[in-house]
Amino acid sequence: MADNPDTAASPDPVTERALRIIEEGAPGAVTTSELTGRHPWIGVKAESLRDVAGLVRDHDDLKMECCHLISGVDWPDPKSETGGEMEVIYHLCSYAFPADEAYKQRAEKNDPWIALKVRVPRDKPEVPTVMDIWTGADWHERETYDLVGIRFTMRKELFRILLPEDWPGHPLQKDWVYPASYHGVPIIPPEGL
Amino acid sequence: MSDGNPSLRSGGEPRHAGTVEIHERQEMVSRDLRTEEMVFNMGPQHPATHGVLRVVCKSDGETVRALQPHVGNIHRCVEKIGENLPYYQWLPYVDRMDYLAAICNEHVACMAIEKLGELEVPERAEYGRVIVAEVQRILSHLMAIGVYGLDLGAFTPFLHQFRERERGMDLLDHISGGRLLYHFVRIGGLKRDLSQDWLDELDAWIDTVEQRLPEYNTLLLNNRIFQERTMGIGVIDRDTAVRWGVTGPGLRAAGVNWDCRRDVPYSIYDRFDFEIPHGHSGIGGELGDCFQRHWIRVREVEESVKIIRQARAQLPEGPVMGRVPKGFRPKDAEVYFRAENPRGELAVYMIGAGKPEAYRIRCRGPSFSNIACITEVAEGMLIADLVALIGSLDIVLGEVDR
Repeated sequence: MADNPDTAASPDPVTERALRIIEEGAPGAVTTSELTGRHPWIGVKAESLRDVAGLVRDHDDLKMECCHLISGVDWPDPKSETGGEMEVIYHLCSYAFPADEAYKQRAEKNDPWIALKVRVPRDKPEVPTVMDIWTGADWHERETYDLVGIRFTMRKELFRILLPEDWPGHPLQKDWVYPASYHGVPIIPPEGL
Repeated sequence: MSDGNPSLRSGGEPRHAGTVEIHERQEMVSRDLRTEEMVFNMGPQHPATHGVLRVVCKSDGETVRALQPHVGNIHRCVEKIGENLPYYQWLPYVDRMDYLAAICNEHVACMAIEKLGELEVPERAEYGRVIVAEVQRILSHLMAIGVYGLDLGAFTPFLHQFRERERGMDLLDHISGGRLLYHFVRIGGLKRDLSQDWLDELDAWIDTVEQRLPEYNTLLLNNRIFQERTMGIGVIDRDTAVRWGVTGPGLRAAGVNWDCRRDVPYSIYDRFDFEIPHGHSGIGGELGDCFQRHWIRVREVEESVKIIRQARAQLPEGPVMGRVPKGFRPKDAEVYFRAENPRGELAVYMIGAGKPEAYRIRCRGPSFSNIACITEVAEGMLIADLVALIGSLDIVLGEVDR
């Protein structure tokens, strides 16, 4: 883990390049971005996600051909009108440029991944699917729906993948409470919860 | 007899009574007997599904027309537990994701936590981690190689690999006290030092493994029956593999020359000299078929032996535990860390919130993405070949369901 503090403080070359390509190819799609630090990312509007996804997959200088991981995070905020926000993070990677100069300059050496973040209001957590752009996103989207409760639209039927179909709620939401019982089996929450 | 049927009187030749009867009966069968596609379940208790995987298949005779894998039977809420327990208490649960590669899981989780908390790991601990992780990789691949023979009907190689695997598991048992789940890699270093006796034992074991590998290859890789059964079967080409997020031997068999250990060097893997086996036409079979995936695992065992030898030679003296602050509370930050497990890339995405426990932990089990692709790949295959395909992907359901 020999991280160079100088490189960590300067903007990440790969994310910088992705940001430039997205701003050129899909103007107005980027909301906010974080180019420095250990986890650089680009925030994207939900409605332009599919354009951006197609762009970063097909652009010759990025070729993010693999959707490595889709995660959902719940950020509740009781003061907000919408009850807070929900976030979907797409970690995309490329197998095309293991020797690319920009990747080599990274703090993490040549690690060809970028992260896209999409924030949606908590009372209407709907994000368009990217399943037709990266086929492997199918199961990741189902899992995110199952555990976090973010709904992916414009795709084929979205149903649970890990939990039973009749399981109450989405357990990784921060305000989820343990049900008293499931099919007559009492549930005792772990201590401290 | 059917005098009114013109087809029987064509040509006016006298026909043998028996022939007519058979002909008639066949016509009757195709007319009266309805054929239809059948839906059946493979699993969740089927030995060839390597755990509790249920695959619903629609078949036309012996041909698979469509299928849908159902997972989640052993979901154990690793991510939910991670949000409720301090980082160091979460570590034992990581072992239980991919239970055939427990130490590799610990290694990845610890590296992610150390990156989040900006902790330093002593040199000797880094070497120790690489040694045990590579031992684990050999154990995992031996299991995959042997069990694949079992899937295809060869029982003997399975028992042969268990001989070496037992000794390897004893090795890890001696340092950690566990046979399958070790909890040996800790945040900041290792649980205990590697003694000289243990290292001598390790040397003897990797020599044996290297010596016995050709024996397994005689039984499987160079066996005509095995080759006929796997070559050209279950082809996952580059495009399919990348689109579905297949990683590990499945990706490399498709011809992608990619291994996180070399291409995204983590820990101290950049100090060793080893090859990345990847699929090509010179070894027989087709690019990305079951045979090439098996071949890659065999080659990776050889490469792991090489890495262990080099790490053994370079192993420095010193402590095996770094300074970890009491009440470890990583600040507000997020990390994404990925590394090469025996089955593919295990990635951990973690959000710290200045508390003893993480705000969110997300794990990407490589088997989860690897098994998803069979919905597309298995269409049009024979049911018997479906067993060969699932076996060659070498999935661990503990990691699919987490």
